[in-house]
Amino acid sequence: MSDYREENNLQNNPDPNYWRSFEELYKNEKTLEARNHEFADGVTDDFNPNESLSGISRRKFLALLGASAAFAGVACSDYRDKGEIVPYNVKPEEIILGKPNFYASTCTACPNSCGILIKTREGRPIKVDGNPEHPVNRGKICAKGQANILNLYDPERIQQPLKKNSAGFDNIDWKKADSDIIAALSMAGSKEISIVTHTISSPTFLKVLEDFKSKFPSTKVYSYELFNNSNRNSAWIKSYGSGNFPLIKWNEAKVIVALDSDFLGVEGNRIENSRLFAESRDVNSKSFNRLYVIESSMTLTGINADYRMRIRPELQFAFVMSLMNELNKKGVISTSLASGFSLSDFVEKNNLDKEKVNYLINDLIAYKGKSIIHAGDLLPENVHIAVNILNDLLGNKNLYRNDSSPVNLINLASLDEIKELVGKISNGQIAAVIHLDCNPVYHFPSDLNYKNMLGKVPIVVTLTERMNETAQFSNYILPVNHNFESWGDAKNRTGVISLQQPVISPLHNTRQKEAILLTWISSSPETFSETLYHDYLMKHWETDIYPSLKSKIEFKQLWFGALHDGFLLTNESAQNVGNINLSSLDLNQASIDTKGITLILRESYQVGDGRFANNGWLQELPHPVSRITWDNYAAISHNTAKSLNVENDDLVEVSVGGRKLTLPVFIQAGNADDTITIELGYGREFSGIVASGVGFNANQLLSSKPDFSNWVYSNASITKAAGKYSLASTQEHHAFDNPRTQDLHLKRHIIQEGTVSLYEKKPDFIQEHRPKELESVYTPFQYNEMKWGMAIDLNKCLGCGDCIVACNVENNVPVVGKDQVLKSREMQWLRIDRYYSGSPDDPRVSVQPMLCQHCDQAPCENVCPVVATTHSPDGLNQMVYNRCVGTRYCSNNCPYKVRRFNFFNFRDHFRDGYQESSLLTLMFNPEVTVRSRGVMEKCTFCVQRIEEARSEAARKGVPIKGTDVKTACQEACPTNAIHFGDINGKDSEFYKYRTHELGYYVLEELNVRPNVTYIAKLRNIHTEEL
Amino acid sequence: MHIDYSQEAPAVAGRLTLSQIEELVARPLDTKPDRKYFIALSISGSLLLLGAICLGISFYYGIGLWGNNQPVGWAVPIVNFVFWVGIGHAGTLISAILFLLRQKWRTGIARFAEAMTIFAVICAGIFPVIHTGRPWLAGYLLPYPNQHSLWVNFTSPLLWDVFAVSTYFTVSLVFWYIGLIPDFATLRDRTTSKVKKTIYSIFSLGWRHSSRHWQHYEKAYMLLAGFATPLVLSVHTIVSFDFAVSILPGWHTTIFPPYFVAGAIFSGFAMVVTVLVFVRKIFNLENIITLDHLEKMNKVILATGMMVGYAYGMEFFIAWYSGVQAEQFVFINRAFGPYAWAYWIMVSCNVIFPQLFWFRKFRRSIPVMFVIVILVNVGMWFERFVITVTSLHRDFLPSSWGYYKPTFFDMGILLGSFGLFFTLVILFTKSLPVVSISEVKAVADGAQPTHRGGHHE
Repeated sequence: MSDYREENNLQNNPDPNYWRSFEELYKNEKTLEARNHEFADGVTDDFNPNESLSGISRRKFLALLGASAAFAGVACSDYRDKGEIVPYNVKPEEIILGKPNFYASTCTACPNSCGILIKTREGRPIKVDGNPEHPVNRGKICAKGQANILNLYDPERIQQPLKKNSAGFDNIDWKKADSDIIAALSMAGSKEISIVTHTISSPTFLKVLEDFKSKFPSTKVYSYELFNNSNRNSAWIKSYGSGNFPLIKWNEAKVIVALDSDFLGVEGNRIENSRLFAESRDVNSKSFNRLYVIESSMTLTGINADYRMRIRPELQFAFVMSLMNELNKKGVISTSLASGFSLSDFVEKNNLDKEKVNYLINDLIAYKGKSIIHAGDLLPENVHIAVNILNDLLGNKNLYRNDSSPVNLINLASLDEIKELVGKISNGQIAAVIHLDCNPVYHFPSDLNYKNMLGKVPIVVTLTERMNETAQFSNYILPVNHNFESWGDAKNRTGVISLQQPVISPLHNTRQKEAILLTWISSSPETFSETLYHDYLMKHWETDIYPSLKSKIEFKQLWFGALHDGFLLTNESAQNVGNINLSSLDLNQASIDTKGITLILRESYQVGDGRFANNGWLQELPHPVSRITWDNYAAISHNTAKSLNVENDDLVEVSVGGRKLTLPVFIQAGNADDTITIELGYGREFSGIVASGVGFNANQLLSSKPDFSNWVYSNASITKAAGKYSLASTQEHHAFDNPRTQDLHLKRHIIQEGTVSLYEKKPDFIQEHRPKELESVYTPFQYNEMKWGMAIDLNKCLGCGDCIVACNVENNVPVVGKDQVLKSREMQWLRIDRYYSGSPDDPRVSVQPMLCQHCDQAPCENVCPVVATTHSPDGLNQMVYNRCVGTRYCSNNCPYKVRRFNFFNFRDHFRDGYQESSLLTLMFNPEVTVRSRGVMEKCTFCVQRIEEARSEAARKGVPIKGTDVKTACQEACPTNAIHFGDINGKDSEFYKYRTHELGYYVLEELNVRPNVTYIAKLRNIHTEEL
Repeated sequence: MHIDYSQEAPAVAGRLTLSQIEELVARPLDTKPDRKYFIALSISGSLLLLGAICLGISFYYGIGLWGNNQPVGWAVPIVNFVFWVGIGHAGTLISAILFLLRQKWRTGIARFAEAMTIFAVICAGIFPVIHTGRPWLAGYLLPYPNQHSLWVNFTSPLLWDVFAVSTYFTVSLVFWYIGLIPDFATLRDRTTSKVKKTIYSIFSLGWRHSSRHWQHYEKAYMLLAGFATPLVLSVHTIVSFDFAVSILPGWHTTIFPPYFVAGAIFSGFAMVVTVLVFVRKIFNLENIITLDHLEKMNKVILATGMMVGYAYGMEFFIAWYSGVQAEQFVFINRAFGPYAWAYWIMVSCNVIFPQLFWFRKFRRSIPVMFVIVILVNVGMWFERFVITVTSLHRDFLPSSWGYYKPTFFDMGILLGSFGLFFTLVILFTKSLPVVSISEVKAVADGAQPTHRGGHHE
């Protein structure tokens, strides 16, 4: 050791703390010195940081490294900020997360003012159903009412007031708009202020208009409807002295004779009509009415007829008079009015089926007093008068309802008054025109030239939800609240007043039209407040309506009660039908030349008079007869087509009185020869990306001087035009003359039908054709507890399609657009199949709602390679969207073809992602998954409702019952044709249908064991055989 | 004309020596590709690119770009799948079944046919994946353990397909590679390029042409042939199950397995002939791929074509005999409905035109056989189209009937699959021996020891 120390020149006093080497331990000077230098001498000689390295310091380098790593990390992650879900700090009153609230209100989609129940989730309206307690519509609401929810969230609603400038429109604020308009109105002086509006069914709104009139005395209100009952109205005035024609007891009629009357389709309150009509087509009570339809165009009513004859509308008068003459001859009635007519001549001349006419005559005799003859709105006054007389003579006045009669708050403006308005405009006698949520530029006959006339009015104000043809030519466009954002009331029947309440505060900077008028009345833009009309409404009820009720409860209580219920019943009595004035009939109008072609303009089943044209769900709802979507067309009979040498989709030019329109032709079986039927409501301009360019504006064919009726024009002509236009139908067109495809629905027992007389004789006639249940090599699953099933009564199903829209809303079904319908890719989970049998002149029509049959041995389930479609222990065929890869094998193997595939992300595909607007996403039912591209979907039997009922039952500690669940389609069906429940619940109403002797399954022979039972349709005809 | 049927025609014509055979087959691998080669490659490459673009756009926007619709859930992509799987069948039949049956004439065409099998199965394998709505989830079709306890559905024929096609591909690839090993060794020994030598060395797995090697090789080759033989029957049987297991009239038919197998061999042979008439000309292989070989293949085409024709007729008979209305309708509708044009293309191409092969003159005429095999290829594509589309477009409920029209994207992807196939074929001709050198040598005149210096059987 000592040697070592000496050799290394170390000192002999070791440091006791720590050492790394002996040199250190013994404190060698050199070593200690070297410890202070990181690098040995010479090591860093060649190293100059400024030359060999960039100027970035180590700190900077580390900072940059860190920053780039952070950036890279952020860029590569797929985290998308979808916002946060935070709980309520202060829970709003009434709202429980995940629980829907229901509010009673009134639908303003058409003048019928049905009671509705709006379902809201976390403050968002998501579904509309009929108010079950409402005395008129009894829990049902039509397709338009259902789809109205889409109008609320329509991203194209006008969101603030607009003022016209030379190039377009400027956004302005309400104060500016109000003060401008108030100034203009107060300058009117003796010049007229014209208010153009649709039907007014709100008594309080009428009061507002009266206030407006007293403030601005030169005001005149023009209330109009494109489709109205003015002909019936004036006929009743002549026949009975009052235009308030009565409602009809459809349910008590044994024989119904509809003359060009689509009372199940578009006329009157069709929801109520359908319910009453179907009440007496009931297999349980075995009571069946008999429907004769004599019409020119195949209508929804026509397809439900037991006997249908086709004649041109001009011949209806002669037909009624001939019936009258025949009945007179048989001594059933006694009148000399019809002496100039002969039924046998009429039948001969117009080639009617003699047998059918005889049945009709005999039925009118046999069911005297229990039959009703009903003329359609489009028929002229004299037909209505003749019908009134015939009903009166036959004693059918019994069937006029005496519990309630319609109320007209304000008479519709006649065509003459509208012409007068246009005349005043051109003479400069009008100071201002105010359009209250209506579209006269589109609706008024084009020969009035209303559009250009508006330019002569100093100020044109249009109150509207969305841009339209009229707003485009207005100086001011004021956006109004949607139905669901508004207060209101409605009365169009005696004995009931409906109340309308908002269920969401206005989504945009909009006001309700009544409040706008009230602001103008007050002359100060400052008057407006959110509660302006609400207060007015309450005050009007308190001062005007409440005293007339002579109620014993205090007003507040009555008001809140009515608000809760959605309506108020009053003990107002119905108007009595007086004695008929037989001399009202003008026989001189009888002779009408029926040469040439007759043009019939009808209301669209889907979009009404065009008000709902921007609603994709309605545009895509198939026409109940032709199954065509997204278009209107010229429907002609196959004989007319043959004589014109045209086929489906050929363009034709229709002209009447110099007014022309080119549109595609559709050969409609059952249409009268030499007639053209066109539905109005299409061909909209400036009205949103959904509506614009859809269909053809046949309003151009309307005339302000109709010679027969506003909607029927004789002496029209039709010529083949060059070119073709594709109409998108959801069903292949039917070839009547092809023996291979003819009547396949009957040959395959898809549609099983019989007659009432056969049923009475042999109640189990359907069961004879049913195949025996086959043995299975497997042990079938035993459904011992709950098993869901559906029964559809084809006797009650009219084929209206309300269920389709209800299903769309409930289950977030996307709109796919015309191009995709053309490719047969519509997404509706429920469809109505329409089949024709017989000849194209006199087809027998069968309809059948078709949806997933939830088969016990579902062929879709065993072919899915990834088990994405499975069966639940309660009998549901389920789809697992997350698992679905989209092989479409299930759809191929589904014999009913009810599965729907997302070929695109349709929400993104349709109209450049219109449906992906953040506003429209508010509309989704949060309980139903929004399906993505590449996924199969189908009817779930509203599994979300089943699960809700199940958890509710579990909460109460009781077993779930079949009656706890109502599917969306079932709720919407106006005739209660759809029944849903527990197949094992033997004491339920549903069980009766499930095991009904008329029940059958579609494609039973495949042994897939479907769980949808169809109750065979019975036709109430005189023979046993069809 | 006098033909001595007691004596088999020589498998290799022109009395080629063994070294000449080697030289002939290996020459394309030793020379640089010429202009024509690049022209051919650019054409097939363009088609491939077209397909890739169409596919890329379809992935981006969704398969709604195709013509598929509600009743017709399966259309051109599935037609292509079945078509390409069918094309593959000739290779396996030639290399495995004919091997087991000791058919010496197979040696000249086996390698090429096998290569076409592999390329066709690659083309086919693409379609089941891309035809789904969400191809990125195709992994769900594999039974892999996962924490969700999700399993595949073994009752679905589509799942059987996954196994059938992947097994088929694997076995074909292994079989092909085993057959290539002696040739890799030959090439290794021939080549002067260092790179090539390394590659050939790796793939020849140390083959030294020793008797022991040959013994193992022959054994392995025979075992694999035995293994591949049932696959010829099973793969297309299972593909036919995709249809036959369903309940759709026109699909739900017990004749499908043999009918599909016959059709597959039919179409596969037609495709092999289509390609070989070019290959033998371009690479001067007329002596190895002789007219006799082509004639034999044409005979197989004639035979299988008639089997297919029999199946067409039998389907109609059974539809009538079953008394099932829907079934009867489907077949009448095929022949006379909206897709009658497709049906009659199918019948004339598959049944009528191949009848010309009854005549020796036509069997041995290159232009005639080329036209006929092209027609057979077209006809067999249409057969799958007819089965798939016409059955779907009008099934049970007349309300759900529709019409299917393929779109630009459907056709683009079909052309793309041809592009892929021919690109692979063209690359193959310049990178691997298109004819099995060792096998052809073995059947060449004088290759085998004999007692009398000639053939002995």
